[in-house]
Amino acid sequence: MSIFEYNGSAVVAMVGKNCFAIASDRRLGVQLQTIATDFQRISKIHDRVFIALSGLATDVQTLYQRLVFRHKLYQLREERDMKPETFASLVSAILYEKRFGPYLCQPVIAGLGEDDKPFICTMDSIGAKELAKDFVVSGTASESLYGACEAMYKPDMEAEELFETISQALLSSVDRDCLSGWGGHVYVVTPTEIKERILKGRMD
Amino acid sequence: MISLSKVKNMSRRYDSRTTIFSPEGRLYQVEYAMEAIGNAGSAIGILSKDGVVLIGEKKVTSKLLQTSTSSEKMYKIDDHVACAVAGIMSDANILINTARVQAQRYTFMYQEPMPVEQLVQSLCDTKQGYTQFGGLRPFGVSFLFAGWDKNHGFQLYMSDPSGNYGGWKAAAVGANNQAAQSILKQDYKEDATREEAVELALKVLSKTMDSTSLTSEKLELAEVFLTPSGSVKYHVHSPDSLTKLLLKHGVTQPAAESS
Repeated sequence: MSIFEYNGSAVVAMVGKNCFAIASDRRLGVQLQTIATDFQRISKIHDRVFIALSGLATDVQTLYQRLVFRHKLYQLREERDMKPETFASLVSAILYEKRFGPYLCQPVIAGLGEDDKPFICTMDSIGAKELAKDFVVSGTASESLYGACEAMYKPDMEAEELFETISQALLSSVDRDCLSGWGGHVYVVTPTEIKERILKGRMD
Repeated sequence: MISLSKVKNMSRRYDSRTTIFSPEGRLYQVEYAMEAIGNAGSAIGILSKDGVVLIGEKKVTSKLLQTSTSSEKMYKIDDHVACAVAGIMSDANILINTARVQAQRYTFMYQEPMPVEQLVQSLCDTKQGYTQFGGLRPFGVSFLFAGWDKNHGFQLYMSDPSGNYGGWKAAAVGANNQAAQSILKQDYKEDATREEAVELALKVLSKTMDSTSLTSEKLELAEVFLTPSGSVKYHVHSPDSLTKLLLKHGVTQPAAESS
């Protein structure tokens, strides 16, 4: 069994019209046993950049703490928040630093860049960036997520429709994966507000 | 001044290396660093019951200076700690960066904000190193740290090139700091509010500043306080806000004309 499948996770981000949505499951398991049903995988870096990390839970937490460290120093020195593209490059660099003993996570980064243009990307555990215009997925449920997103996604959705689409894609995909699930956590971010919602799906 | 030059001749043998004492038990390099600060723009800090006020006198004022958002005297170290600087700016930049990294390292390790005194102590330990080993000169900077933590609430600390620091209710560094300190001793009130502390800071600075008139271009004013939601806020006043405050407290006239 792969170490990436030890804790179980499902993460997806989608681009809408001047907005983005980022969603994750809530299960934390130790192989077949479920330990927690409120595990936080999505974290806010600042009001316009979010990161969700799938993979080994300890690395998810530690990598996030390291990113907060770096972003805080950036904010103090440059007196501004990081753009999502810059933040993605930072994550990629930090992951590659550990090329021969990597953090066992796959991040999904989503943010609003200049002119409120939504930005999403994902990368592997050693920092290979993959930019996409529509959606990115990560985690043990990624194969199902790819299929669900491909079928349900359409460009230029408004915030409410985007929320419905990403929620349906997430819930249907985690239902096909025994290691992820126990509800969903969705953030829909527009230039003016951040809407956080908890989904109730099949609680197994 | 006269006595200093006399001392300089005698101390020629003991002042070129930081890591040795003089026969009288003094560290001349450290004292010379403090001299350098005595010529720099002053900064005053005042502790009030609902916040800490920091005010600084800008020495570099020229029409040609690009007024960007960054400031000359006040710096944020972390969300809950800020500092005012007096002395050599380039030395200050190094130490501020060190302090910022130290604060983040603590937060990374313990997942909570670094207590203010620990941050000050950590930075002062760095400064002390330059007085004892390495053969490098001390930093020519004095700091006034203003911050809040959940153990001791609002705090104000002053540190100097020797690495000594102390907690203060009101303190002054830089030019004319002794004059400012004695005015503060007389006029400081224990239970002052933040607004009263701002008023006192402006009044003290107007009396001790060398320049003839007090305008918002020559000053920087910052406050550290708690928002209604309970988080710490570091707020630097805009030039417009400063001008309004100067008018409100009646300190904007040239020093010669003020009562």
